[in-house]
Amino acid sequence: MNLSHAILVFVVLAPGVVFGILALLWLLGWTLGEHALSWITSLTFSACACGVATLAWTIAFRSEVTVTFGNWFAVGDYHFPLVLLADRLSLPFLALTAVLSGLIGQFSATYLHRESGFLRFFLLLHLFAFGSLLAFAAGSFDLLAAGWEVVGITSVLLIAFFQLRPSPVENGLRVFGIYRACDIGLLVGVFLLHHWARTASFDHGFPQVTGVQAVIVSLLFLLAASGKAAQVPFSGWLPRAMEGPTPSSAIFYGAISIHAGAYLLLRAQPLLAQSVLASALVILIGLGTAVHGTIVGRASADAKTSLAYATLTQVGVVFIEIGLGWRWLAVAHILGNATVRTMQYLRAPSMLHDYHQMHSAIGGEVSGTGKQIEDLLPERLQLWLYRWAFDRGHLDTILDRCVIDPLMHVSAYLAKHDRMGTAWTEVRQHTVAPVSLEGPARQRGD
Amino acid sequence: MSAAGWFLHSQFLTSVSIAGPWCAAAFLAGYRRHARTIGCIAAFVSIAASAALLQDAPKGESLYQALMLLYSCLTFGATLLLPRRDSTAGTIGGILFLLGSTLLAYSTRNLLVLLVAWILSMVPFLWAGWFRGRPWRPLAGLLLSGLSLALAIAAMLSRTRVASIDALKGQNPGGLATFGLLVIAVVFRKGLCPVHVWVADAAEGDPAVPTALLLNGHFGALLVAKLVVPLFPRLDTLFPVLSYLAIATALYVAIRALGENSPRRLLAFLALSQSACILSGLESRTPEGIAGAIVHWFVVSISTVSLFGILRLLEVRFGENLTASKHLGLVEHAPRLALSFMIFGLALVGLPGTLGFCSQDLLIHGALTSHPLTGLLLPIATAMNAVSFFRLFSRLFLGKHRTGFTVTADALPRERWILAAGVLFVVLGGLFPNTIVIRHSAEVDIVEHSVRNSAGPHLPRTVNAVATVAVEPKSEKWRSSEELDVE
Repeated sequence: MNLSHAILVFVVLAPGVVFGILALLWLLGWTLGEHALSWITSLTFSACACGVATLAWTIAFRSEVTVTFGNWFAVGDYHFPLVLLADRLSLPFLALTAVLSGLIGQFSATYLHRESGFLRFFLLLHLFAFGSLLAFAAGSFDLLAAGWEVVGITSVLLIAFFQLRPSPVENGLRVFGIYRACDIGLLVGVFLLHHWARTASFDHGFPQVTGVQAVIVSLLFLLAASGKAAQVPFSGWLPRAMEGPTPSSAIFYGAISIHAGAYLLLRAQPLLAQSVLASALVILIGLGTAVHGTIVGRASADAKTSLAYATLTQVGVVFIEIGLGWRWLAVAHILGNATVRTMQYLRAPSMLHDYHQMHSAIGGEVSGTGKQIEDLLPERLQLWLYRWAFDRGHLDTILDRCVIDPLMHVSAYLAKHDRMGTAWTEVRQHTVAPVSLEGPARQRGD
Repeated sequence: MSAAGWFLHSQFLTSVSIAGPWCAAAFLAGYRRHARTIGCIAAFVSIAASAALLQDAPKGESLYQALMLLYSCLTFGATLLLPRRDSTAGTIGGILFLLGSTLLAYSTRNLLVLLVAWILSMVPFLWAGWFRGRPWRPLAGLLLSGLSLALAIAAMLSRTRVASIDALKGQNPGGLATFGLLVIAVVFRKGLCPVHVWVADAAEGDPAVPTALLLNGHFGALLVAKLVVPLFPRLDTLFPVLSYLAIATALYVAIRALGENSPRRLLAFLALSQSACILSGLESRTPEGIAGAIVHWFVVSISTVSLFGILRLLEVRFGENLTASKHLGLVEHAPRLALSFMIFGLALVGLPGTLGFCSQDLLIHGALTSHPLTGLLLPIATAMNAVSFFRLFSRLFLGKHRTGFTVTADALPRERWILAAGVLFVVLGGLFPNTIVIRHSAEVDIVEHSVRNSAGPHLPRTVNAVATVAVEPKSEKWRSSEELDVE
């Protein structure tokens, strides 16, 4: 293992190791202070950023850095390869993650000062950074899926960060459900790649599959990417995700997590190139999302949701670029969008202050032009569009009516079926009586 | 044979591991004090004996020794995790009796002994003075499973007059009718669709921790690995029935769990849905499917017993009418229990960083290879289970600022240690799965060759692979020790 290999391993593992140590210390009852946590976070991500810079220097002279550890586990012909890969596609994403995670860590040290979940936030930030770095540096789709899942679970836990209020928790559950449903696409796609191509690694060339197989795997990956990137028809979860603290919204839904779907499609570009159908669908979904995002964003009343839809619109455009095969334009677009949105999210809590400052600076108020593109539409259509946008394109309603309600009806029907015969006996039926408020009987467990 | 050799002899160790808990259970029937201490000592004796057996077993032939060790550890953990209210002499005695019976079933190579162990393991749940609750379905399910197995074994004995499982390997004893009876026994004991309700009824109506231990004996999967596949290789065209039943159960129960509000029933459904995957992996007859099933067996057992144990602790400390229909916000008062619950749940539904991810990965890949439809449906069932689990977690622990509690009702030291051990197993196992997976993949590989020779070259490779899991051909090492014994 030479220096660049060691650096790549360090960059990916450092946040994970810090997470492990901090979690262990907490479990042992030793909690670090805010200052120490902030210092450790800065140090970790600064080191990661330096590592990525060194890798960039190395990659400038050769195409990629690959580290192979063998197999995570292997049985028979099947193996789960542990391959890390830094190439010209993954490097920008690694840099983005390292730099923005450090930035968010610094920002949050002040923003979440004396917040009860301070340690939890930093633990999850490190875990998220580890998951993202693992997903972006993965040399196989198996490892990418593992990192992808870690990003998903940390995302949900941060949405439910304010855990004593029901609304964030319920929204976290909703997001978790959509993530899990869409992640089926990635998991099954990876299994099918193994099944058909005998490998899901892309460190030594892309797995070879036939045209039909490429279409199927591409469509499954598209499902996963659409879920993660909140593309139509899964966009409904994005405003719900704004329940989390602002720094986490910035890094997840302004920068890294929201673009992970685009990264997956960029990685699977050879498959998309084999499949016109999948490419067309990527363009169609991107177009739909861009239109949806721009219309709904105009009717959003709060700053974070407006920003979320602005991000969504740009991610839709990125999807179009990927579908058209403009790979490097998409990467540049992602970098620009992620950086600007992170800054906007972080400034969102002080938006009014910024606004007033700007007015003071120019010595008056900035007046609107009063000209909007929707003014060109007939008034009835404008009203209809407003109602449509206000309900966020009815996407949540459609999802509820078409998927969740039928499932719950089936579940209720099965429950009714299960209860057959209980009337003969004195089976204790479950009641939903309120929980006893008498408190724990005794600390000793009785 | 030297004294040390005699003490380390496999038959002696097996006897100790089984008789130890039974003797302790009998002792507790008369002497009803210090039940938890006696239970822990007896379970520890079983752990030590099983560990010695596992240590002595040749590589690739250690499945049942590993399962014995797992079950002994589960019982030890459950004994420590029981709240004081539940740790009576009767409960601990019942758990120890169940331990002895289960170890007997794991270790035996005789049909009649297997039947006896099967019936004995049900006894605590059939007797009203022990664990039998008010629901009638668990009683019916267990009795019918025992009856089916008894009929199947009677049919085999009447045809062959041989009770040795090794001797009956590949013989199709009793033909299709016996095979059918065995499948019925599996269906009833495992609680596969359409008889799954007894599992939920048992979880809700019977004591939680003993019921979790009963379910995690996984006698249904044991029967498949020990009898169904090795004894009936010529009926391999019918094996997919098991896989289809398993995936139907996994999906049905996963959908059923989505709307369930009783935490105990919900956990029972999750455990059932996830454990059905074990059957699917064993039946997949691929090395990765079998290895995945075995590892999943470990994950499901540890996670389920721990989840039921934590739920019981919450019931004792916060009132017995917990519900998943609204937020209870217990995390403030029980943060360590919440974290443990989360980690065991994530392991159960196969999220990364836990051993469950590796087992699910292998399972799904194996199932996809042999039955593509099953392989495609398994991730859907798992995804629904993950949502149900997260709903249960969020409703129990999050979403409400509780007032009225001044005392933290978190895990006590003895509970912390045992939960930490479980968490370490699923997390470290998830980070370094090769130590567990390779052991069983080697097992699959080694026995594959030996059974292929004995069962005939006409059999597909995959059939031989699964058949060998249960067979455990004697190695030279063991053979020589037995010969020495005779001398």
